[in-house]
Amino acid sequence: MKVSLMFRSFRILVFVSIFAAASCGLGLSWNGTLADSPDASARPSLEVASNTAPSTSVKPADAARVVDNYLRKEALVDADEAARTDDATFLRRVKLDLVGESPTPDEVMDFVLDTDPGKRKDAIQDLLSSAKFGQNWARYWRDVIMYRQSDPRGTVAAPSLLRYLEDKFNAGTSWKEIATEFITAEGDVRENGNTAIYMAHFGNGEEVAAEFSRLFLGIQIQCAQCHDHPTDRWKREQFHELAAFLPRVQVRAVQNDEGPRSFQVISRENNARRRRAQANRRRPTGREHYMSDLEDPSSRGTLTHPKFFVSNRSIPKGETDKRRRNSLAVMITAQSNPWFAKAFVNRIWAEMVGEGFYEPIDDLGPDRQCSAPETMDYLSEQFIAADYDVKWLYETIANTDAYQRASRERRRYTEAAFAANCAQRLRGDQLYDVLTDVLALNTSNRRAGNPRARRNARNAFTAVFGYDPSMPRDELTGSIPQALYMMNASTVTQNVRGNRADSALAKILQEFPENDDAVTELYLRCLARVPSKDEAQTCRDYLAGISNRREGMEDIFWVLVNTAEFLHRR
Amino acid sequence: MKLHRQTHVRLRRGSVVGRRDFLRGISAASLAAGTLGWHDLLTSQAADLQNRGMACILLWMQGGPSQFETFSPKPRHANGGETKAISTSVPGIQIAEHLPNLAEVMDDVAIIRSMTSREGSHPRATSLLHTGYLPTASIKYPTFGSLVTQQITNEACELPSFVRVGNPGRNRTSAGFLGVDYDAFAVTRSGQPPANSRLGVGENRFRRRLNLLDQLQTSGTDGQSDGYVQDHLALYRKASKMILSPQMEAFDISKESQQVRESYGEGNFASGCLLARRLVESGVTFVEVVLNGWDTHQDNFTRVKELGGQIDQPMAQLIRDLKERGMLDSTLIIWMGEFGRTPKINARTGRDHFPRAFNVALAGGGVRGGQVIGATNAAGDEVTDRPVGVTDLFQSFCKSLKIDADAENMSSVGRPITVVDGGEPVNELFS
Repeated sequence: MKVSLMFRSFRILVFVSIFAAASCGLGLSWNGTLADSPDASARPSLEVASNTAPSTSVKPADAARVVDNYLRKEALVDADEAARTDDATFLRRVKLDLVGESPTPDEVMDFVLDTDPGKRKDAIQDLLSSAKFGQNWARYWRDVIMYRQSDPRGTVAAPSLLRYLEDKFNAGTSWKEIATEFITAEGDVRENGNTAIYMAHFGNGEEVAAEFSRLFLGIQIQCAQCHDHPTDRWKREQFHELAAFLPRVQVRAVQNDEGPRSFQVISRENNARRRRAQANRRRPTGREHYMSDLEDPSSRGTLTHPKFFVSNRSIPKGETDKRRRNSLAVMITAQSNPWFAKAFVNRIWAEMVGEGFYEPIDDLGPDRQCSAPETMDYLSEQFIAADYDVKWLYETIANTDAYQRASRERRRYTEAAFAANCAQRLRGDQLYDVLTDVLALNTSNRRAGNPRARRNARNAFTAVFGYDPSMPRDELTGSIPQALYMMNASTVTQNVRGNRADSALAKILQEFPENDDAVTELYLRCLARVPSKDEAQTCRDYLAGISNRREGMEDIFWVLVNTAEFLHRR
Repeated sequence: MKLHRQTHVRLRRGSVVGRRDFLRGISAASLAAGTLGWHDLLTSQAADLQNRGMACILLWMQGGPSQFETFSPKPRHANGGETKAISTSVPGIQIAEHLPNLAEVMDDVAIIRSMTSREGSHPRATSLLHTGYLPTASIKYPTFGSLVTQQITNEACELPSFVRVGNPGRNRTSAGFLGVDYDAFAVTRSGQPPANSRLGVGENRFRRRLNLLDQLQTSGTDGQSDGYVQDHLALYRKASKMILSPQMEAFDISKESQQVRESYGEGNFASGCLLARRLVESGVTFVEVVLNGWDTHQDNFTRVKELGGQIDQPMAQLIRDLKERGMLDSTLIIWMGEFGRTPKINARTGRDHFPRAFNVALAGGGVRGGQVIGATNAAGDEVTDRPVGVTDLFQSFCKSLKIDADAENMSSVGRPITVVDGGEPVNELFS
């Protein structure tokens, strides 16, 4: 025990001196002294890559080099590229991005002191094989779907959606298969998480069609719901032809006396008796979609048959619900439909690099500007070649220079795209997990061991700090209740205290008798980095003015979790 | 330039993707709160209060209040059930027996008995009656409180301009595409201060911490002082200024005399109404007070009688109180829920959802009291005179609050959305 403590203090010493050497006068970035530099000769040439038909998948690290070469050619000519980010910032970034957690002080130190040039690549692979990868991105998609629900009952499907996606992402299921399962979903929504998009809109065909288009194609065709879109090629009729794939899907309450209330997604086909009755009245059998008449909203509208607007393919009239939805899934996920791969690539790229090829991230299409079209084409072709392997895409993006550059303020439109990464606000669940770790809530709190209390605490927290991930990030702002929570909630104010022996701070104060070391440990704990010289001095000055050491450290602890940096990943 | 009360978002120069109409923040105000007490403030602002802009109090009856047991009794028809009608201060206007105090202030109340809509599900109708639009996946329409505070706001007020009192549960409506800046500031229980508004440490220590936070974020960060840090600093200045402000006393109804508190009656809704008056008096633009429990599929008569008891005295006293303080003309009070209830009484002596004909009550804000707009037939199942749609109702709110209903906001998909889409104000309300 004693030995390990000494070793740890020693590591901090080495660590701090390396940091000091890097930041004072050597003109090197922190990682410059330690980390690997990408080997240019290992990059496959552009010609080879672009001539290769996308049939076999390229290794992520190789694909990443090609992506960077494309970007240098088409987006970064004469651009002022940000330097490669330092190891500590990289580790916090990649861990938050991939598994939704911040590294511990030990992890940061181990990583920074590791001299293996391939350590970033290895860290990415390790994180992708963690079960928390699936959990993190399941929560992301839960938010993507549920923040747009048009019926609050949709929330009933949220827990099963989480379980479903967590399993699929961890098992390496392809995005194509996941999308197909969402489109063809049926059954009890509490058991079948892939019913969530139907449930979020209570089976309303027009809403669901709009969401399928937005989520799986990145095309906002719903604007054509009421009028021909002024800046797009899509016609009103085409939106309704998409909705016409879905008139027979229905959400209905499950009748059961036991257990919580539930709903199920079913196909509503007409039974024989109704079919006969309708035949007598010479109406088509089964439910069909009618495009409303804008001049006469109370009339029934125009009978509209299914046709997919991207490929202009239609299916025979009067098909069953199952066949309609299967056909729709096939058409949406077809290799010949470029938007299916592009929508996913664009979204994940934007989450990782800070800006999409298309912005907003769910507004693509032939009439939109792409800031690096060849790069986008290459990445989406390779994503298809990798059989829509979700982890392949994350690994490729995380290995690019574009991802690993230091963060800068969101660019102005005159500046080059992808010259820097961009700070991202943590999503509600990420922030909750970081706060829980930093304040040691699960070990020192009464909540520990009570799953229900923990779930409630998480939900209450994410209700304040969560946001719709599809929202353009520069439109995202903090709110007063968020600030008040971090300032005053007893969860924070009580757990930054060092009066209880088992509290996080008490342990630090005992372990690190020197103030500078304790402050460094607090920085590592909260922000996964050591303080800059100025910051260390500011803290030193602050502590000098306060007679009680513990009180002063409590203040610094409180301040660090209240910084903007704590709420973001840089 | 119009300023909003809550956070101030930096206008990002020439941002590639920014589409929303951000308002530039005011310059960083000092943290030091004034030394004036509540009464000093009131006196010093007395003149301002006289000329201040419009305010709105929405008394939201979650679940769909029965029109027959509130403002549209039908004692002479089987559909009216056992509920009796009582006379009011206005000859010819009768309301349900559960509302004797409101009957006394009927001179100031206008009833619309011919509200009509087609939406009979709680979530969708709650959304419709809060936003004026049916909910969609692609566009999140802002709730009325957000729309109002975005359009009119009181700049001298350090409190949030939109406060929601009570817990609407999962039927909570939000600022939608207007963004969190315009979201309601929630007070879950009216007798308690807003969540996390009390300092976790002494005030001196809190200020000391804020100073250190400022110092660490503005210096020595290697030029990392990005936009998001600037936004964060501005937000913290705003939030801390608010909780250190003497105006926060407005949230503390125990500052009212016992006599005043008693005049509003007992219960959460009563203290919510008193809180609403205090907040509006302090310059808050929009207060929504939520009362749950109106979904009376069973046992309608007992339950609505009890609910009527919860609203009658507080709402009547709110009207009187605002009038005595000279604030009624500039404060619109809206009483409504998401729909009405079926004329036919079901087998469990309950009433089910009925959007086709329901009622809304309005007071203040230039509304001429003592009148009834519209009518239904004897059975109460059809509007027979002067149907008022939801957009007509919202147009009327805008007219009262002097808001341009045709003003456009940009939605996140880049489509302009008017405050109200169509409809005509019910002009009789104001004549």
